[in-house]
Amino acid sequence: MKETIEIEVKNLSFYYNGDIRALKSINLTVYKNLVTALIGPSGCGKTTLLRCFNRMHDLYPKNRYEGEIILNGKNILSQEVDLIELRSKIGMVFQKPTPFPMTIFDNIAYGLRLRGIKNKTELKDRVEQALKSAALFDEVKDKLNVSATELSGGQQQRLVIARALAVEPEILLFDEPTSALDPISTGKIEELLTELKKKVTIIIVTHNMQQAARISDWTGFMMLGELIEYDRTEKIFTAPTKKLTEEYVTGRFG
Amino acid sequence: MKGLGYRKFKNYFFSSLCTVMTLCGLFFLAFILTDIIIHGINGVNIELFLKDPAPAGVEGGGLRNAFIGHLFITFFAVIMGVPAGILGGTFLAEYGRNSKFAKFISIFADIMVSVPAIIVGTFVYAIAVKPFGHFSGFAGSLALAIIMFPIVLRTTENMLSLIPWSLREAAFALGAPYYKVIFQVVYRGAKAGILTGVLLSLARVIGEAAPLLFTSFNNNFFSTDMKKPIASLTVTIFQYATGPYDTWHTQAWAAAFVITMTILAITITARYIIRGIEK
Repeated sequence: MKETIEIEVKNLSFYYNGDIRALKSINLTVYKNLVTALIGPSGCGKTTLLRCFNRMHDLYPKNRYEGEIILNGKNILSQEVDLIELRSKIGMVFQKPTPFPMTIFDNIAYGLRLRGIKNKTELKDRVEQALKSAALFDEVKDKLNVSATELSGGQQQRLVIARALAVEPEILLFDEPTSALDPISTGKIEELLTELKKKVTIIIVTHNMQQAARISDWTGFMMLGELIEYDRTEKIFTAPTKKLTEEYVTGRFG
Repeated sequence: MKGLGYRKFKNYFFSSLCTVMTLCGLFFLAFILTDIIIHGINGVNIELFLKDPAPAGVEGGGLRNAFIGHLFITFFAVIMGVPAGILGGTFLAEYGRNSKFAKFISIFADIMVSVPAIIVGTFVYAIAVKPFGHFSGFAGSLALAIIMFPIVLRTTENMLSLIPWSLREAAFALGAPYYKVIFQVVYRGAKAGILTGVLLSLARVIGEAAPLLFTSFNNNFFSTDMKKPIASLTVTIFQYATGPYDTWHTQAWAAAFVITMTILAITITARYIIRGIEK
């Protein structure tokens, strides 16, 4: 299988609050239409790394990046990048479901309306399409005007995925998307991710090593802000080259 | 070691003390309410709302001027105080979050909540009555708005702070600029809470007489001109209750009854909304 490069992370360091170094010279290549998992013990910087891709850190003052993240030939960390445009290319799904306090339809349409789509039939079509892609359409098709907060946790998480998908991003970032869900909902989301990678490139942070092994193609193991090892998932889990990786994936710490 | 009996006695003593004190408080509350109802309800009739006051000492007439004047004053107070309070609260909870400046304003607003109403009245007298040379309805509204402002400001700030950050981040992650995040997502989540704050501030000012005495003063005639002195229920109650005529007293009771019931209704609505939020 030929792999195309989607994102290249070059020598990326990140500082919280000006001087707390949370990421140390990360180098990593994310391949198109594959699932890249980031694993590691709590506080290792995997979420911090994930939030660099859509510049979420910019919301808080005094955060600072060094190095480059290259997407489509451009460094997305540069100051000239339009964050609104960047975030429409790179969607994000959070740990806890974050439905907006509005109807299911309006939730999905939110990103579309932000981009100026007002045509009712187009909105309706794209909302429906997004819900189908997120495997939620059959469950909610008769209650699109019901408040999204009334859905179950697993449905809410798929709603959030649909909302991100509606704007047709190239990349989706997942920050432990199943850690607040029960096993059945988790199973559905995992199934969905495997399906979604036909359309988008996925980067997922997970605490759950089995999950990484089940759904990802590439896995990065991080510790204390460093990317210890990055390789194909089966290699990481069966024949890691670094001792630390081996100890972590076999459950000796973390 | 003292015996179990002594400890039981202490427990019994303090819980009885608390109960008695609560009953004392409730007694006076119930006393005031029943008194207002008993005296007031007889004076309430359709003429009270539809007729203007009869000449002093003459039977009949109503308080239409005061009801309409009160509505006007309160309406303009809401127009001035509520948007300012909501936007100010938004600044404190969103743009100014964690800044020393915002914290200072927050504490200052808390102090402002407890500034006596009459001081607000005299302040507005100095800035909006004296310079123009006459009392006016707008001055009355301004005084009430100043009282409402810190209440709305603080409730808005608190209600916005209750909206989890993850929700804002989710909106940001879709590419929304901050003002859209606030208007389309955060306000939606906090609207019931903000409305409660508005209602409570309304309940607070609707029964105020002191700030109006110095500002909108009173008017025995029907008027909707906010640039001139205008009648209000509370100042009318004050004037009629201290006046010499029995018809005045009856009408003052009736006005007190109506205003109390209005405040009660507003407060109950606010409580009801709060319960909805907490569920």
